[in-house]
Amino acid sequence: MPEQAARRVVVTGLGAVSSLGNGAGALVAAVRAGRSGIGPIGQFDPAGFEHLLAGEVTDFVPEEHLRRLDPARWGRSGQFAAAAAHQAVRDSGAEPAALRSGRTVSVFGTTNGESQILERLAEKVSGLGPSAITGAAAGQADAGRIASAVAAELRLGGETLTVGTACAAANYALGYAFDLLRSGAADAALCGGADASNRATHAGFHRLGALAADVPRPFDADRDGIVTAEGGVALLLEPMETAVARGARIYAEVLGYGVTCDAVHMTNPDRDSIARCIQAAHRDAGVKPEEVDYICAHGTGTRANDATEVAAVRAVFGDRLPPISSLKSMLGHTMGAASGFGALLSCAAIHEGFLPPSATLRTLDPELGEGVDAVPGVARPADVRIVQNHGFAFGGNNAITLFGKVTDR
Amino acid sequence: MTAVAAPPAEAVKESTVDTVDIVGCGVLSAAGRGLAPIAERFAAGVSPVPEPAAEPDFPALPVRPVTGFDPAVLLGKKGLSRMTATDRLALAAVADALEDAGDGPSEMDTGVVLGTALGSAGGVLDFLRDTFEQASPYLVNPSHYPGTLMNSPAGKSAIRQRFTGLNATVSGGALAGLNALRYARTMLVAGRAQRLFTGAVEELTPTGAWAWHEGRALADGTALAEGCAVFALEASGAGGRVLGRISAATTGFADPGAGLGGVSERLAAVVRDALAEAGLAPGDITDVVPGASGRRGWAAVEERGLRAVFGPGQRTRTDRVLGETYGAGVALNLAVVLSGWQYPWRAGGCGRTAVLTSAGFDGSVGCLVVTRPDQS
Repeated sequence: MPEQAARRVVVTGLGAVSSLGNGAGALVAAVRAGRSGIGPIGQFDPAGFEHLLAGEVTDFVPEEHLRRLDPARWGRSGQFAAAAAHQAVRDSGAEPAALRSGRTVSVFGTTNGESQILERLAEKVSGLGPSAITGAAAGQADAGRIASAVAAELRLGGETLTVGTACAAANYALGYAFDLLRSGAADAALCGGADASNRATHAGFHRLGALAADVPRPFDADRDGIVTAEGGVALLLEPMETAVARGARIYAEVLGYGVTCDAVHMTNPDRDSIARCIQAAHRDAGVKPEEVDYICAHGTGTRANDATEVAAVRAVFGDRLPPISSLKSMLGHTMGAASGFGALLSCAAIHEGFLPPSATLRTLDPELGEGVDAVPGVARPADVRIVQNHGFAFGGNNAITLFGKVTDR
Repeated sequence: MTAVAAPPAEAVKESTVDTVDIVGCGVLSAAGRGLAPIAERFAAGVSPVPEPAAEPDFPALPVRPVTGFDPAVLLGKKGLSRMTATDRLALAAVADALEDAGDGPSEMDTGVVLGTALGSAGGVLDFLRDTFEQASPYLVNPSHYPGTLMNSPAGKSAIRQRFTGLNATVSGGALAGLNALRYARTMLVAGRAQRLFTGAVEELTPTGAWAWHEGRALADGTALAEGCAVFALEASGAGGRVLGRISAATTGFADPGAGLGGVSERLAAVVRDALAEAGLAPGDITDVVPGASGRRGWAAVEERGLRAVFGPGQRTRTDRVLGETYGAGVALNLAVVLSGWQYPWRAGGCGRTAVLTSAGFDGSVGCLVVTRPDQS
């Protein structure tokens, strides 16, 4: 096989199903205005919980988004992914038929897979015992059906891969898609992440004492935790040569990514491992720290995460930190979709020229140290050329993607 | 997908080839621990007749639990209560694979890639049941929470072995194991890790058994089973003992809603792509190992695809010996192939070039081409 030069990979389509609106345009406008998607829990019975807020998608009518998938046969996470992917294709102006060559891959990250299906199964088992399970319901529970939902909806024939690296999963998905496109193993990729609001996640974080009293306040002196949330996000990636040839709008180039594992503790973040991940991403992308204009933080709003994250950034960047802000201040923690939303906003920040805000920030935590610009309130206009997008997870999974402005098309 | 990862110029370390070598393995199956008991079962030609599980929550469905595995002995008692059955199987198989492969690249260049349909079904459902049954829904056991996440076994394996390199978990129903092998190969070829402990795991639970039973999803004579197979993978060319070489791994998708014939055709196409990638013709293949033969209806879908490429012929059926292990299936089938190369259990030998396939309920299909390296 002839040696092939590595191809450059660009983002040409964006799609989102979020608590801040359907469609990338609605989401980006809401983020720029610093609006909140947090509200009362509606996706499961919140009776008995002491924390009653979540970042839920309240206006999602599957039939309005899906042409082929029967909503009765696919879980909410898969529906989110398929709807977002539809939008990304439309947004890209790519010819849908051209994506059906068998060389368009679907790669999506998730934390909890089809969590609502599992929740319904558990409720049945709880009431009636395991014999209450039906094969049809159980057949919808595989996490892998998230990427398959996208492929079925868009009639793609290529690889379908659902990555289960918890809250770093969408960045993993983007990274894998990037490798496939860069090497020539695929010709286009729909990638991102999806998760649905569910009882298990809410109970787990509740019990860990990690839920905020009201809204999440990343980087704030009074931050007290996350708010569980849901959503689906999709990016259309293609080789730059294809995008240029068809005259596509290019949001940004995927410059590279890095992945590390803490291998220390299942739930506590690790500064050194995150710093190593940042360096791996920089090396892969050929980017120096001083070239990074903005960091789209993991920024969960827990005391431990934000302090560890800023310390890791400081370990690599020294005392000249780029602006760093958290979408979770508005969306809450969308789990496996979170770093996908970060990727979408990274592209929008580069394309439109703004820094997304930490909308709920009131008093910057002085313990984070000098020189932290967390962009409080609303978005700020800025020339953004290179963005670093963080995704960290339980299990010690860290993944960081880097996006850059294309100036030489 | 025909094109194979030509390694990106700037990322190349040693990875100048696009094949990966299996340099060790750890296997826990219905046959026992390791490759030898698998070979023994295949050599004997008959396996013990599977029986319904003794536990009261199970349906009257024949099952094949993992045998020869005492978690407390292999893993120690510390932390065991916080591990799901999936965690235990995976941690033990990774440890066995490490012992088999011996010391290798640095911990920073070593990682774990595991496939699973949805993680520990038992762990997730028990945790969820607590949210319905405890006095308050959040009165769950916090130490059980990480075990409900799909990436728990990979994360815990990394902690146990101090592997700080690439760590990933992938899903994909019956294709989960094949997906893990393909993902790991892409990562090794791209130079993102030097050694990846790669495989798949599936546990046997009452709820899962009821789902298979009520869905009438098992082929006649196939037992529901569990297991885990993990392989130490390195980019080819490092030298040393090689159990097998993964020459190609391809996957694709066809919506079953548009007709099962399309799924068979898609499978045939990914098999042809895999053979082209490996530089082999159908006639070069000495062993065809279907992955769907234990799943009612899907065995025929898979066989139609295989016939289109290979014509009618011998297949190596593994479900009568190891049972239906779903997400772990292709990984355990790879262990069966390797067991034949280590301990030839077929008269005349077990060949040297195997094709392993599967077809999942969702319409995902895949193919792995594995070759036995020349002995030297």
